[in-house]
Amino acid sequence: MDIKLKNIKKAYNNKIVLQVDSLYIKKGKITGILGPNGSGKTTMMKIIGDLIKPDSGRVEYDGKKFETASDRLTYVSHNSYLFNDTVFENIAAPLKFRDMKKEYITKRVEELIDNFQIGYLRYENALTLSGGEKQKVSLARALSFSPEVLLIDEPTSNIDPNFIKLIESTLKKINHDLKTTIVIVTHNTAQSLRLCQEIIFMRDGKVIQHTPTENLINSDDKFIREFIKLN
Amino acid sequence: MSYIIDGVIEAFKLILSLDKEIYSIVLLSIYVSFASTIISSIIGVPLGLFTGIKEFKGKRLLSKIYYTFMGLPPVVVGLVTVLIISRSGPLGSVGLIYTPTAMIIAQSLLVTPIVTGIIFTNSKDTGREIINICKTLGANKKHTFFKLIKELRTLILVATVTGFGRAISEVGAVMIVGGNIKGHTRVMTTFIAMSNSMGNYDTSIAMGIILLAISFAANSFLYNRTMGDSNGYKIKKY
Repeated sequence: MDIKLKNIKKAYNNKIVLQVDSLYIKKGKITGILGPNGSGKTTMMKIIGDLIKPDSGRVEYDGKKFETASDRLTYVSHNSYLFNDTVFENIAAPLKFRDMKKEYITKRVEELIDNFQIGYLRYENALTLSGGEKQKVSLARALSFSPEVLLIDEPTSNIDPNFIKLIESTLKKINHDLKTTIVIVTHNTAQSLRLCQEIIFMRDGKVIQHTPTENLINSDDKFIREFIKLN
Repeated sequence: MSYIIDGVIEAFKLILSLDKEIYSIVLLSIYVSFASTIISSIIGVPLGLFTGIKEFKGKRLLSKIYYTFMGLPPVVVGLVTVLIISRSGPLGSVGLIYTPTAMIIAQSLLVTPIVTGIIFTNSKDTGREIINICKTLGANKKHTFFKLIKELRTLILVATVTGFGRAISEVGAVMIVGGNIKGHTRVMTTFIAMSNSMGNYDTSIAMGIILLAISFAANSFLYNRTMGDSNGYKIKKY
């Protein structure tokens, strides 16, 4: 599914936090959103995920409204809400929402538990987990129903370096195998260079560059070059 | 000092004697408080959830109104109820004055704002978060509703038990609308007030002990329930 943002504007207390005239996120690509704090990255992601409404403008999903895409798209943040239930039930929730058969749910959840190496947490209450464990469960839950679009805000902010590799390879795999469109907000420039095929660079609520990843390092923009050097 | 000790001894004797009048008063208290808590929860839980989660103009004003009503003086509620249900009032023809039904109405008016206010205050952020996560995971309205209730179950329980505690310990409103009629509308709190004014400390203390025991049982139930819940719901101050 491709995503188009047209004339999006969002303000809080009369301060414009996001102003995007036109943006096209290509189907089947991993797109990274980079930029300093307060540049509007999370606001833009939440608008794409229909979690907040823009003051003006619209987002199109394959040229259509959000309602046509709502059950094929998901948003995961570094502190996504986990249900007050076991890890197993948390990962199973999206499948239960879709009235999947019990046998399929068990098989799929076990598969994800194995992938994310969280078998030892299977029957733990999700609210008792550490930040990194919660992040893995959130990601596993989001992947359970194989969404066409995966919006991820800081996917590995609390995760040990050895698991970051695992998560990155999982994201690459689903992008390659299932052609999942992935949009990632990250502060980690090295990660975005490793993972993403395209980069959207934001500053002061505006997109200042949208380019294939390999072109980012040689950007004409001095601010972007400095940002990459420092991160 | 000795009258207090004598009172306590007499109280236990009275409790153990299974006095019919005492136990009918206890049962009526539980019935009236239970009924008003159920009515208040049926109204207050959905109202608190809806107004808490939904963003709308005038929400701040509404929260001020809720908090004001949470501290309603019971005698004022009793007075308002009497004015409505007394023989010359708008509902006078129904003949509710000095009946347990009138007491249930008065207690419901007192408890509903408490249940609503607790749910409203505590569901604002969490409720929105639950709805958002359900949306991102593709839940429909029915699934989202049941998930919301399930996730906020401890909060709903806290609000309900707090409401029950308020109802069973209330004296002013039920005295005015019920009239403390022996064998008909006499409840624990009105009985204690009356016995105390008559100098019958033993029966007052006996009833006080039973009242405390009921409150203790309700709170123990809540404590056990919330301790088993890793959410360990923390009620925000308002």
